[in-house]
Amino acid sequence: MTAQTDTNTGQGETAEPDERLSYRGPIHRLLTRPEIGALIGTAGIWVFFWAVSDVFGTVAGTNNVLDVASVLGIMAIAVAMLMVGGEFDLSSGAMIGASGMLVVLLAKEAGEFGGAGFPLFVGIPITFAFAMGIGWANGSLVEKTALPSFIVTLGTFFVLKGAKLGFAKLFTDKVIVEGLDAAPDFEFWDNIFGAEWTRNNQIWDSFLGGRDLVYAVLLLLGGAAIVIGLMEQTFKRRDGLEPSGLTLALIGASGATAGIIALAATDGVGANWLWSIVLGIAIIVALIGFGRWRYEPAVRAEKSTTVQPTVMARNVGLGLGAIVLGVGAGLALDSESQTEVGFLLTVQGLRAVLFVGLAVTGLVLLILAARHAKQSPIVQAGITALAAVLLIVLAFIVQSEASSRKFRAEFFAWLLVAGLALLSVAILRLLFTERRHIDQSADRLGRRASIIGMALVGLGVVVRLLFTTSGEVVPGIVTYRISVFYFVTFAGVATWVLLRTQFGSWTFAVGGNKSAARQVGVPAARTKTILFMVVSGAAWLGGMLTAFRLNSVQANVGDGQEFLFIIAAVVGGTLLTGGYGSTVGAAIGALIMAMSFQGIPFSGWNSDWRFLFLGVILLLSVLVNNWVRKKAEGSS
Amino acid sequence: MKRFRFIAMLGVIALVAAACGSGETTASTTGGETGTATTAADEVALSQGSGLTFYMATHSDDGVFWSVVKKGAEDAAAAVGADMVWSPSSNDPERQVQDIQAAIAAGADGIGVSLANPTAVAPAAAAAVAAGIPVVTLNSGVNDYQEIGAITHIGQTEIVAGNGAGLRFNTLGATKVLCAQQEQGNVGLEERCDGLAETFNGDVVTQFVGLDSSPDEQINTIAAQLAADPDIDAVLGVGPNVAVRAVEAGTQAGRDLFIGGFDISTDIIQEIEAGNVDFTVDQQQYLQGYLAIMFLYLNVTNQNTVGGGLPVLTGPGFVDGANVAEVKALVEAGTR
Repeated sequence: MTAQTDTNTGQGETAEPDERLSYRGPIHRLLTRPEIGALIGTAGIWVFFWAVSDVFGTVAGTNNVLDVASVLGIMAIAVAMLMVGGEFDLSSGAMIGASGMLVVLLAKEAGEFGGAGFPLFVGIPITFAFAMGIGWANGSLVEKTALPSFIVTLGTFFVLKGAKLGFAKLFTDKVIVEGLDAAPDFEFWDNIFGAEWTRNNQIWDSFLGGRDLVYAVLLLLGGAAIVIGLMEQTFKRRDGLEPSGLTLALIGASGATAGIIALAATDGVGANWLWSIVLGIAIIVALIGFGRWRYEPAVRAEKSTTVQPTVMARNVGLGLGAIVLGVGAGLALDSESQTEVGFLLTVQGLRAVLFVGLAVTGLVLLILAARHAKQSPIVQAGITALAAVLLIVLAFIVQSEASSRKFRAEFFAWLLVAGLALLSVAILRLLFTERRHIDQSADRLGRRASIIGMALVGLGVVVRLLFTTSGEVVPGIVTYRISVFYFVTFAGVATWVLLRTQFGSWTFAVGGNKSAARQVGVPAARTKTILFMVVSGAAWLGGMLTAFRLNSVQANVGDGQEFLFIIAAVVGGTLLTGGYGSTVGAAIGALIMAMSFQGIPFSGWNSDWRFLFLGVILLLSVLVNNWVRKKAEGSS
Repeated sequence: MKRFRFIAMLGVIALVAAACGSGETTASTTGGETGTATTAADEVALSQGSGLTFYMATHSDDGVFWSVVKKGAEDAAAAVGADMVWSPSSNDPERQVQDIQAAIAAGADGIGVSLANPTAVAPAAAAAVAAGIPVVTLNSGVNDYQEIGAITHIGQTEIVAGNGAGLRFNTLGATKVLCAQQEQGNVGLEERCDGLAETFNGDVVTQFVGLDSSPDEQINTIAAQLAADPDIDAVLGVGPNVAVRAVEAGTQAGRDLFIGGFDISTDIIQEIEAGNVDFTVDQQQYLQGYLAIMFLYLNVTNQNTVGGGLPVLTGPGFVDGANVAEVKALVEAGTR
């Protein structure tokens, strides 16, 4: 966030010649955000497990991952806020079990080995007050004694852990307290903390043309908005609009629409090819038209041609060589051979690794070559276009050679989209002038369009996840738990608080430099105490969700999970030293951990390696995070 | 221009991940993955009943005890050419529920479940049955397997096993037994101590003494308990490790104790050989893993239901000075 504000308030108004150095394009700005490493990690892990497992990426698999991520994520978000404020709470895990157990003990029927027999209307507020009290006590103790929060909350952790077991045994003579559903108003509260959404019952066939149409339209509109947003932030606006461009854009857009409709309506392989090509060309035409309408055409030839031909030529040569080798390996090795050739690899596996590895290396080398040719836009565009065409060729090789249907169909489609995108980038950069200065209105419009686009795509995915059609076949019953809803809502609210409110600024201030914050009038003690109360409040929510899910609470619930919350926050880009971090990142960090947890059984791997794998993923996320941020901050 | 480099980096990362992914796909195909049943090898395997994947969603901590259950399940899966996915939840009921749901989502051909915490886990297991997936319970769950619609339960009746331990202590001549527990929240362990109290003629004190993962805590807690109560002259560890810890705690407290244990480990066998531990109650957990997979396999391929509505008992058996030598060889092979 800081990076973004800097560029907005920075040297925008002054017209110094050097201002271009301070301008950051949309991708660059994205890369300096704290959660970017986690975001890249999520994409990587998703692709990884999607490729390995049949279940991962299906609706049922996604539900399972979200279920695991939800309570973890709620806690990670709260813990991330506290960590931004410069403190830790080691009692956060035990607090989940404590509030869950308290609510069950209060609600359980009275009698020997019974509970208090309170209605939940009384019991739940008492539990909440208890959680707030623990948070307040943590915060006050840390502030009054100036001891590290590590020590204070470790004490609270043991107190809670012991109290859970002690009281459970004392009141019920068991280590599991059960009987929450005996409370008279259980039904009402079960709708709040235990509600479920059974996807199989949510059939959406006719309203607005059916789920699939709504899904497709949302994805297309969202994609278009994102593309417009990126173009608006990348290219220089022309002085007056060029109407012929608009006409061209509309022709392209209608061509693309016709292509999509035709694609959806036809089945034949030949017709599919025809319409796919029409669609691809129409999209490029629309993009060129849109650019011509709004942006300055490229001016060139005044720069001296100091291309580094040797480096460029070497990279092009090596890149082409790598791709040829990769394709050769793909064709030469037996795709069905299960003979082991070495550590964990069969001939089939070796083939896949060689093919993908060499192809990727080749494409990267080509893109690097294009970078070296930046003084000559035509050469640059040519090399980029070559890479795009090769990507499309590779897509076809994958389609004809891959052994699994998933790669032949879905992966093939994504490779085509990537090739088309690369081709469009090459053409657009050749035709239009890139903006090298800050243009407030263009940046604002671009940012908003991108955000609206992402929201539309997200909405489309949500529609797809929540509803089914009568024709869709999903094995088993997909039931979402309300904890997922709380997770998403809490992520939104916490992000708004941290980035847009005074309390959020105070949080960053006390975590960055407490005494300085205090001197400029930030109520440091109060801020930190409230943050501790946010964490124990989140743990209260987690406790309610667990208790209403299982109808019982075991004394050890949550113990030891506090480290998982901290890890999720760190994976999401929050610094252990305070003053820097992101709640969205923490939510993504929780997703990464849930994907790693669930991906392993989905892939059928031996669970013995689970923690090793988890550790490697966590290390990689943190390293990528660190590296990307340094790179992005270090260059301009 | 640098922006371009970042695009490249993004692409590299995404594609490298894809590379690893496809490599792993093929590597894991050696295990007989279902999706790619096109090769000749797979077709042969299919005729032998391969392509089946059984999930074992247990409260396992992958310790000494559960690793033998796992070995049993692995051996059975290998014997019938099926895949077995082992999902240990380390005694966390919410985690176990999620593991069961993951198995349902993955389209498991059968699920083995342990019901250490039946109120929390049984509904998820019942949902698996409702989804048409055969379920057996193993290790814990003898009181609930019928209600969830499981084929049968494989394990030992903990009360009966505890009764057996009580009778042994009577024969040894003990007067007051400390029943030392290594887990909180496991109904089975509670029942072992309850069963002990039913048949034992003297007093029984039940105490959680720390997890197996913190052996020092176990020794010190038992030693403290011994110091606090001079009447205790016997310890029943309701797991193998905690019984061995009781030997050390007895030495530390300078007390001569009758010691009994539950289940088998290399350590407890050595202690029985040395005469420090008098006996251990063996529930032959290898059978719990092996039979769970076999029963599921036979149910899927041959519609067999084992047990006739009753549980299949794998214990109690006893290992003491008389048979320790024979059992020791099997323990070293990892099957007892």
